[in-house]
Amino acid sequence: MPLATAWPMVLALGITLLAAGCLTNWAMSIAGAVLVPLALGGWIRELLPGRGEFEHARVPAHERPRAVVPAAVAIAPAAGFVHRMRLPEKVHPYSAGVRGGIVGGIGMAVVALAYGVVSGRGIWYTVNLLAAMLMPRFATATDAELAQFDALALVFGLVIHALVSAGAGLCYGVLLPTLPRWPVLWGGIVAPLLWTGAVYGFMGVLNPVMNRRVDWQWFIASQFVYGILAGLVVMRSEKVSVRGAGIS
Amino acid sequence: MAVVEQSASRAAPLPATAGLSAWVSTVDHKRIGILYVATSLAFFAIGGIEAMLIRWQLWAPGARVLGPEIFNQLFTMHGTTMVFFVGMPILIGFGNYLVPLMIGARDMAFPRLNAMSYWLFAFGGTLTYASFFAGGAPDVGWFAYAPLTEYAFSRGHSTDYWILGLMTSGIGTLAGAVNLVTTILTFRAPGMTLGKVPLFVWMMLVDGVLLIFAIPPLTAAQIMLLFDRSLGAHFFDTQAGGSAVLWQHMFWFFGHPEVYILALPAFGMISEIVPVFSRKVIFGYESVAAATIAIGFISMGVWAHHMFTVGLSDALDAIFSGVTFLIAVPTGIKVFNWIATLYGGRLRMATPMLFALGFLGMFLMGGLTGIMLASVPIDWQVSDSYFVVAHFHYVLFGGTMFALMAGFYYWFPKATGRMMSERLGRWHFWLMLLGFNLTFFPMHIAGLMGMPRRIYTYSADRGWTVWNQLSTAGATVLGVAFAIFFWNLFLSLRRGKPGGDDPWDAWTLEWATTSPPPPYNFEEIPLVRSRRPLWDLKHPEDPDWMHE
Repeated sequence: MPLATAWPMVLALGITLLAAGCLTNWAMSIAGAVLVPLALGGWIRELLPGRGEFEHARVPAHERPRAVVPAAVAIAPAAGFVHRMRLPEKVHPYSAGVRGGIVGGIGMAVVALAYGVVSGRGIWYTVNLLAAMLMPRFATATDAELAQFDALALVFGLVIHALVSAGAGLCYGVLLPTLPRWPVLWGGIVAPLLWTGAVYGFMGVLNPVMNRRVDWQWFIASQFVYGILAGLVVMRSEKVSVRGAGIS
Repeated sequence: MAVVEQSASRAAPLPATAGLSAWVSTVDHKRIGILYVATSLAFFAIGGIEAMLIRWQLWAPGARVLGPEIFNQLFTMHGTTMVFFVGMPILIGFGNYLVPLMIGARDMAFPRLNAMSYWLFAFGGTLTYASFFAGGAPDVGWFAYAPLTEYAFSRGHSTDYWILGLMTSGIGTLAGAVNLVTTILTFRAPGMTLGKVPLFVWMMLVDGVLLIFAIPPLTAAQIMLLFDRSLGAHFFDTQAGGSAVLWQHMFWFFGHPEVYILALPAFGMISEIVPVFSRKVIFGYESVAAATIAIGFISMGVWAHHMFTVGLSDALDAIFSGVTFLIAVPTGIKVFNWIATLYGGRLRMATPMLFALGFLGMFLMGGLTGIMLASVPIDWQVSDSYFVVAHFHYVLFGGTMFALMAGFYYWFPKATGRMMSERLGRWHFWLMLLGFNLTFFPMHIAGLMGMPRRIYTYSADRGWTVWNQLSTAGATVLGVAFAIFFWNLFLSLRRGKPGGDDPWDAWTLEWATTSPPPPYNFEEIPLVRSRRPLWDLKHPEDPDWMHE
């Protein structure tokens, strides 16, 4: 074990005095300048072979750790409590969730573009609304301005949509093994309902521009299209074995 | 380094273990850890008193509890103290104490450097506080924006004290980080691969790497500012061609990773405590570790979200906004994993678990307002308002401080051999939960109503009075909560119930040795076969290594 030594403290004191002297009195800096090499010398001497370390005697027997003994209760009670997770032997791969998210995202985009055409606002309108989350200048834009093509908004809109679609798909894929059966029900009905509720609550905060203009019927329809497509893609994927499956 | 069985005649003289000199000259990681924690607690008491004074000044419109100059000094020193002299060192202190024990090592990789790191922190803090006796403390805010910190706008030496005190402390922090990373990478017990280290150790590893990348830019900026102030350089002097934004970039390149530097060890504590008190294996060990690394990477790329109102381009704002949204993903993964660990577990509501659950709720609040602030249009509205003050206190107090308290109650028996009082611990928890929310939740509302941060006083017709009074009342409750905590510490150190070696029936290696551990930590370096080596020893019929 390393021997106790005050040299590190002296070195730290020397450095501090060097700094403090700049603000108070040069004498302090001079003291620091003396202490630093002194402490370094002392420290280095302790690193020489045969110095600065010692063989530590064991503490008295009654102070030593007692041997760990197996627990009195060997098996954890089964009813209502397990100390290990129970997982299915085979699950849909997480990558299927990402693929499902991408396919669902494409479907969702088709619905959003259809809304732009049907409503007469044009195909760029929904893209610009989405990009408004990151583009403060859209806060004061008119409907006509939002209907115009904007390259930066297209890039931001695509990135946001792609990330959220793939990310939500990944979450869905990861969560699926913990949900009871019927992937399409969870992906196509329950998840869009929860997601829409959350978005309804937060949209005013995350994207005030979209919040003022969103057509909720179309928005909800697009969520369901996303969920159903993502669910179908995941369900059609081949299940893979879980590493370590079969544990108690 | 060897531990030998020696006869009394051959035994080398043991170093003194008691008295001041033993503490001054110690290179034992456990003692240095305790020194870090104790010194940080002293600074915490000082920073807390500063916060109380700030709150009492804001109790009523036009109050004159403090003068405006003193007010500026107090909010500067409160922020500086809590970030640099409490948050970082106390977490490094816990890391110092626990990491070698958790990985089955006898000490840190560089024990003497470890001692120097502590002393640099202690002296750096002292130097910063010496400014109070040298004409006045720093009054430029804890992030000391240049060019307002140039000599033309900040006369005297107070800002120089801030620079040199933090630089001194920063050198120690950097050395400590190098030591932590080296220890974790090279001193692990046989069989303890990186896939088997406790999650607290994972968090400290990423924390150390973040420190190594984050501290130097701050130190560089401080040296540049010192040159501007003392040697006539012009790095931040706009009239001489310097930049008014450069300081912000350099400071926040340190400052945002800093948030995660303060949060990651807290995440590590929660990742140790929640499984033990749920009697379950952590849900998704790999994803928690991976999320930690992801946070480490992403946190280096979000600094300009502190600068949305500076007038950067739309594209830069959007990129930093997007990356900030992105960091919510790994953070969310962790929260999901902790909740999934709780799910179906047999919960033991001891004080550490109460604080861990408090952490989950409070940190979630801070995280959600963080997502709001990542949105540029919202940030434009509430930047530099009390909404931001509420947000970061929910993250750093509601998050880090609740986790730290969980850690205190959890590891106190290991460090002292005594339990902390559960009764006082529960009083502490409930009062802290109440006081914390009463203090900081109203700040969201005051901020949304337009109350700027750092104002010395306000007029009665702004409608902010009631929210400030609630905050001040809450701060008083918080003060009582922490008085109970300190009393509990004092009482438990003197008369606490004996804790034994493993009072929580835990699973990591620090509980395999005595409480407190001997100077050499372990009689024999343990052989590790799973993430819960102590579980394996206790349950040879059902060891983890069969399933990992």
